[in-house]
Amino acid sequence: MTWVFIAMIVLAAAGVKLQDSLRDSLRPLVAPLCVAMIGVGLWGLAVIWTGSRVFPGPLQTCLGLAELIESERLWGDIIASLFRVTWGFFLAASVGIPLGLVVGWNMRVFTAMNPIIQGLRPISPIAWIPIAILWFGIGDGAGIFLIFLSAFFPIAVGTTAAVRNISLVHQRSAENFGLAGLELFRRVVFPAAMPQIITSLRIALGVAWLVIVAAEMVGMDSGLGYLINDARNAGSRYDLVVATMVVIGMIGIVLDLLIRQLERFDEVRWGYEKR
Amino acid sequence: MTSANQEPAKVVFNGISKSFGRKGESLRVLEDINLEVQDGEFICLLGPSGCGKSTLLNIVAGFEESDAGSVTIDGEIVAGPNPQRVFVFQEYGIFPWASVWDNVALGLRHLSEQERAKIVEATISMVGLSGFEAAYPMELSGGMKQRVEVARALAVSPDVIYMDEPFGALDSLTRLGMRAEIVRIWQQEKKTILFVTHDVDESIQLADRIVVLTERPGRIADIVEVGLEHPRDLGSGEYGAIKNRLYDLLGVAHTI
Ligand SMILES: Nc1ncnc2c1ncn2[C@@H]1O[C@H](COP(=O)(O)OP(=O)(O)O)[C@@H](O)[C@H]1O
Ligand SMILES: [Mg+2]
Repeated sequence: MTWVFIAMIVLAAAGVKLQDSLRDSLRPLVAPLCVAMIGVGLWGLAVIWTGSRVFPGPLQTCLGLAELIESERLWGDIIASLFRVTWGFFLAASVGIPLGLVVGWNMRVFTAMNPIIQGLRPISPIAWIPIAILWFGIGDGAGIFLIFLSAFFPIAVGTTAAVRNISLVHQRSAENFGLAGLELFRRVVFPAAMPQIITSLRIALGVAWLVIVAAEMVGMDSGLGYLINDARNAGSRYDLVVATMVVIGMIGIVLDLLIRQLERFDEVRWGYEKR
Repeated sequence: MTSANQEPAKVVFNGISKSFGRKGESLRVLEDINLEVQDGEFICLLGPSGCGKSTLLNIVAGFEESDAGSVTIDGEIVAGPNPQRVFVFQEYGIFPWASVWDNVALGLRHLSEQERAKIVEATISMVGLSGFEAAYPMELSGGMKQRVEVARALAVSPDVIYMDEPFGALDSLTRLGMRAEIVRIWQQEKKTILFVTHDVDESIQLADRIVVLTERPGRIADIVEVGLEHPRDLGSGEYGAIKNRLYDLLGVAHTI
């Protein structure tokens, strides 16, 4: 086995060296793959050389992953986690965006609300777990509430900042053409803030995905976080622990890819190109 | 400056002064600016950078308040911006999130769909952007963006157009083209135009009268009548004479 990993590392290193001779279209694929292979090789060697009985190597992790995929459990836990994240995130966006628009636009509201928002924001959503359980009990309600909290602050603060960044010429253009009230929000404030709002949504979704795992480890009886805890408690199945971590990472990437699709609309592309 | 014209002036500046407070000190930017602009006149405000041209135009447009003095348009004191008087910004005031069509339609929200479409189409064609209705500003060159902004202003048929170095960010060839274009549109539409520039040639190519401002604090050094027919011959003797006169007023040597 040792030689397999060494061969992997040597091969990957050769791949990194050889990539210059590859077609341009392949290069962005090959380099990360090689680096990942080196990482996996080193991981395998480390497990062998330290003689660990508990910590799984790459192969055990793959087997663990296969076991998880075959068991009905994994899908149920994935759905449980995604369910909480989806609802918490949508609630946070539907409160955070309108609130951020108003707080960012209206100086009076800003003065009144900003200190409170800034005061609550640094409290880790994890610290809210006891209160979430107290209010909602063990289950989806507490999870959704915690995700709401995790996503709400990045969204509200990001939207506020986005509105305050609207350029003076655009504000004056709106004023010049007599835009006011809802129309002003619909035609100028909201679209002008949109690129930065999308960025804050992306950040919020990332945070939500981090927090849901922690929340499920502490205060819930389903979901990927709970699966990690359960695998450890039920006979130190660290192969399943690491396999679940891999699943969490992959879903995180997919979520980010999905939300990034928002950046491609014609109405917001101006906010990302040329900076 | 007395005008031979008997009609009451369109835009009147009555003793405008303005200072900005900066770090406890007060920076005097404009001092006692008096001017009468006739209906349909093309006026250039010419002065060195930092002399207060933008501040003056922003006050006239109602975006900023003066410390003393007032502006009247058609006899009414300006209290704020108004869709009848449109500002064309140097740094692209058009909305990057809206298509060319939607940008030009901005000031026509009160009209019926049909009327709006008619005006938008005609205005886009007037500035030579037919075919780009669906494009977003990001996809356009600087000159085209500025055409969109001019179209957005013209679409509402304003009485007065304010332009603050609108072609300042364009390359010199595009700038020349845009000047010709703006003169053509002005002759066609007969709007009153107040045009800020620090470019001596630009002011002579465009204006009926050039209001020369001094270094900060900006005061009116003199008002120069151009009195040349369009299209103007940039090589003519009169052109050169006006240019020399402007350089003298600005206190810049005209030989290098
Ligand atoms: N909002 C402001 N606060 C403080 N100083 C300002 C402000 N706007 C302009 N100034 C100052 O006023 C002077 C004139 O500015 P501006 O009108 O933009 O000049 P110009 O357009 O002729 O180049 C400059 O010195 C500038 O720094
Ligand atoms: Mg200026």
